[in-house]
Amino acid sequence: MKGERADMNKLKESGWHFLLIVICLVLLLPVLFMISNSFKTLQDSYHSMLQLIPTHPTFSNYLTLDKQINLFRIVWNTFFMATIVTLGKIITGLLAAYAFKYFSFKGKKFFYFAFISTIFVPFTVVMIPNFLVIFKLNLLNTALGVALPQLCDATGIMLFLKAMDKIPNSLIESVRIDDIPSYKILKDIVVPILRPNIISIGAIFFINSWNEYVWPTLILKDKNSFTLPLALQNYISSEGGTNFPLAMALSTIMIIVPLLIYLIFQRYILNSISSSGLK
Amino acid sequence: MSNKVILELNDVTKNYKKTNIIRKMNLQVKEGEFLVMLGPSGCGKSTTLRMIAGLEAPSTGEILIDGRNSEKISSFERNIAMVFQDYALYPNMTVYQNLEYSLKVHKVKKEERQKRLEAILETLNLTAYRDRLPGQLSGGQKQRVALGRGMVKQSKIFLLDEPLSNIDVQLREKARDEIQALHEKNHQTIVYVTHDQLEAMALGDRIAIINDGIIQMIDTPDNIYNHPTNLFVAQFIGTPKINTLEVTYDQGKLLFNEEVVLSNTERLRKLALASNRLCLGIRPEHVIVKKERTDLLDLPAQVETVVDYGRYQQLTLNIKGNQSIKAIITNSVFVSGDKVYFSFVAEKILLFDYENKKNLEN
Repeated sequence: MKGERADMNKLKESGWHFLLIVICLVLLLPVLFMISNSFKTLQDSYHSMLQLIPTHPTFSNYLTLDKQINLFRIVWNTFFMATIVTLGKIITGLLAAYAFKYFSFKGKKFFYFAFISTIFVPFTVVMIPNFLVIFKLNLLNTALGVALPQLCDATGIMLFLKAMDKIPNSLIESVRIDDIPSYKILKDIVVPILRPNIISIGAIFFINSWNEYVWPTLILKDKNSFTLPLALQNYISSEGGTNFPLAMALSTIMIIVPLLIYLIFQRYILNSISSSGLK
Repeated sequence: MSNKVILELNDVTKNYKKTNIIRKMNLQVKEGEFLVMLGPSGCGKSTTLRMIAGLEAPSTGEILIDGRNSEKISSFERNIAMVFQDYALYPNMTVYQNLEYSLKVHKVKKEERQKRLEAILETLNLTAYRDRLPGQLSGGQKQRVALGRGMVKQSKIFLLDEPLSNIDVQLREKARDEIQALHEKNHQTIVYVTHDQLEAMALGDRIAIINDGIIQMIDTPDNIYNHPTNLFVAQFIGTPKINTLEVTYDQGKLLFNEEVVLSNTERLRKLALASNRLCLGIRPEHVIVKKERTDLLDLPAQVETVVDYGRYQQLTLNIKGNQSIKAIITNSVFVSGDKVYFSFVAEKILLFDYENKKNLEN
């Protein structure tokens, strides 16, 4: 009897594993096609796009890319912008959450509600006003112009506030009795405790910003100021038609940095996604 | 203990919206005193402690620390240390850093810091754990670190909010002794909140019994146990609970269900009782149980249950009027169902007013 039961469990387990493997493959396939096509010639790609192993593997797409665009410049632009946005969101989010959590001030509830409600304002609504402001500030074609409206994000405030809930009140009270200045409480107690949350939330901000397309398209017109998603768009349905292998080569480059970030911080990221329910 | 009052609460009240947590609190704590605040959950003892710590402001009234209104001085000048129920250790710092942090922020010189910390680590037996994080410590060790963090400040007043409630029962007594030893060594003024009466009796120079946001009684453990001011205090202190019986007074005699339980004593005459209905309180250890009736005051009863605690036995006696009382005796030979006689140790009988439940002799 016992053996039968164990067999059943094993069967059940392998059933689940099979299902999960299928799901993984479904999710992985586009990435695999992307990588394989980036090593195909234009012709091969055109005739046998779905073939995983290229018939005539070539590195030429990457070399062409490097000739056609200032690859390093574009990666740097993207990295620079994403870093500024991420740092900005972390700093403003932490400070605001700290204030909302541990200070009492007039209109606290109102301000919190006002901030949080901005999460529900679609980007398209604020796109034009933001554009006009950036235009008047003379920041078109600059990374700062892209970053500025994104330096503060209510999602960050909400996530940090939620993370602060896990710090017991007595901890903060205990520091207060010891007459420790507020900025030191934040620096020495709150931030170290929240470090895993800050890293994971930051990584999500970074990847979002790295992938951003619509807003940078409005601000960045000069090819030298382009970010990766914009450069990629140039190879899809632009003048001269889509050069699929070139676009895939650029996509492959584009995926490297987020992948590295994920590999370095995966422990924190997985933890945060599962605990915050956020994607 | 000196005679100098270091902490004083004058007519302090605290309301949350419309609920009165503290109704009116007057309290004086002398320098070097160990005062325990004892009461059931929700009685306002922790709120009082938090107000003394400056974490909450009183709604009315004032708290004087060293003669100065605590609301008008900074937490630095207030010079108070507090140990929280959940220890509130900084999880990101080692034991040593936890103890050092506040001194470091307040720019105490490094040599001085080291001197103080070494001494405290030594006293609290924590030297071996100095580089561990709080997460790697046991409950008792965490509690000692929390104590140490309070001690390191060398503050005038030391507040402890149920510091032993999260420790295993086996360790609790040891931790209690440690706290007592520390107090005897340092003579720091301590205000200690607990709901455990054993802890209160063991530690306190004085105990303040709090209920419903009012101090019911504040006195030495001995007076609280033997001369409670009212029925609440009498019932709250002591396990098993004090027996209470409704009795009547008639011509120099106390009657329970028309049978005399106390008669013609000096005490009763002095009381000059006006009302004839009274509440009699007698602690279980002051109930005498015997097999035969040897005295006029002995009343019949039947043993309902016997619980043997080894050192003593606890009897539940079924008495007239379908009531029961508890008795604690040693070397009991009784088993449940036995017919017995009981009486009270006359001088240990407590008498309370039937209406306001106040001790008639206080």
